[in-house]
Amino acid sequence: MSDEIAYATIRELGTRYRSRQLSPVEVTQALLARIEKHDPVLSAFVTLTADRARADARAAEEALRGGDARPLLGIPVAHKDIYLTRGIRTTGGSALLADWVPDDDAACVRRWQDAGTVLLGKLITHEFALGLQFPGHRFKPARNPWNLDHIPGGSSSGSGAALAAGLVTGATGSDTGGSIRGPAAFCGIVGLKPTYGRASRAGVLTLSWTLDHTGPMARTVEDCAYLLQAMAGHDAADPASSRAPVDDYVAALGRDVRGLRIGVPRNYFFEGVDPEVERAFEAALGTLRGLGAEVRDVQIPSLAATHSFLLIMLAEAFAYHERDLREHPELYGDVLRERLLAGALVTASEYTQAQRIRAGICAETAAVLRDVDVLATPTTPKPATPFALATDPEFGFPRSNMPPFNITGMPALALPCGFSSSGLPLSLQLAGRPFEEATVLRVGHAYEQATPWHTRRPRV
Amino acid sequence: MSESKELTLDEVRARMRAVGVTIAENRLAMVRKLLSDALVHVRALDSRASKTVEPAVRFGAGGGDQP
Repeated sequence: MSDEIAYATIRELGTRYRSRQLSPVEVTQALLARIEKHDPVLSAFVTLTADRARADARAAEEALRGGDARPLLGIPVAHKDIYLTRGIRTTGGSALLADWVPDDDAACVRRWQDAGTVLLGKLITHEFALGLQFPGHRFKPARNPWNLDHIPGGSSSGSGAALAAGLVTGATGSDTGGSIRGPAAFCGIVGLKPTYGRASRAGVLTLSWTLDHTGPMARTVEDCAYLLQAMAGHDAADPASSRAPVDDYVAALGRDVRGLRIGVPRNYFFEGVDPEVERAFEAALGTLRGLGAEVRDVQIPSLAATHSFLLIMLAEAFAYHERDLREHPELYGDVLRERLLAGALVTASEYTQAQRIRAGICAETAAVLRDVDVLATPTTPKPATPFALATDPEFGFPRSNMPPFNITGMPALALPCGFSSSGLPLSLQLAGRPFEEATVLRVGHAYEQATPWHTRRPRV
Repeated sequence: MSESKELTLDEVRARMRAVGVTIAENRLAMVRKLLSDALVHVRALDSRASKTVEPAVRFGAGGGDQP
């Protein structure tokens, strides 16, 4: 199969399906062959569901013959392995759940299935969405298709690697402190963390209840819009799920960005930023100005306290894992176990104060968003981390540009904005007001259409 | 409770005893650093002097004061 098909967009596949130039069965077979060829090196998949994929593809073909025009019909996808899948093992990237087969689907899995997608399999995640698999772990970590010696980011590591390598057309991710946007940035793809409550988390393994988000990952902004459309909406099974109306995300992409106000928070997001990242970011701002957007600097001083979000995440993660940690500590990776146990040491007072700091960040960010429509920042301060550094047990939690939007719950999009001199992808982060995914996607799409970055492919 | 802004190793050990968890002694320094970094702003906060901010976070579609 040509790269052209492996990297086709959702719109391109749909057009070719409906004109009978291509069929979902052909595309599925070709992607399965591509996975067989490349995944032994990339380790993006933890479970391949070839028979299920062929059955889904045949069903899509039958529906197409009947005139079914759903945009995701026959689109090959895979799910991060913390999304529960009925009858298909869901490991959480962990030895603890290595053989667990759930008897129900996560809500988002069901919604994509109802939209007619083809399920290729499950994608490796950092262990319980928090801990990179170190050597000796039950599961191998995914590798970055742009450079196998670098991590693809995490925790939605398999999703990022599989998309960059042209193994799937769309994938789910989850994001507690950047786990959709980080792999999107490191793998040169697009990832959207929607507003807290926009997409259901029912049936997705928990890391931290008040910070967890589900969302789509793809290779273009338009593909993310299609995939979000099929995920978004109220779900009574997720207590945080919102009843806010769902916009038409794809239709919103047709509008230009003239007159839109883009704020650049000059504090926090530029501390320790690699010069190459900064140059690519400033060039992206220039492109957006050229498209007619008004770019201005803003300040959000309270973001200096962003790192306190770790107290919330670790305390909530320990609460979720406490019983298994006490009963089966040996089934957790060493570094992950230490991090989770660190959460046990956070006092109630410290957790409460961290939530108060969070409320202050939310209020200050909301005030800034009265004067601008979107915030723009580099997604990550540096390109993809080498494995040699990431697997150092002392590596810890580096400062990150992504948690501010888990803290506030605002929608945040990561998309390619260049490459480092060593050939690693660089990324632009765009964040908007709650439930204004359409605006964020619109700005991202306008930028993407004006630049070539999303058309570059790694040599796999 | 220590008045220091830095969490000490003894404080980490005391907290471990209080909650009944065990972390290998050679990894305590890493855990101390992880928590100390995260605690910097919490420990700098004078909760009596700062204005009242409830710990609740709301996510309203109407775009109120809080995202």
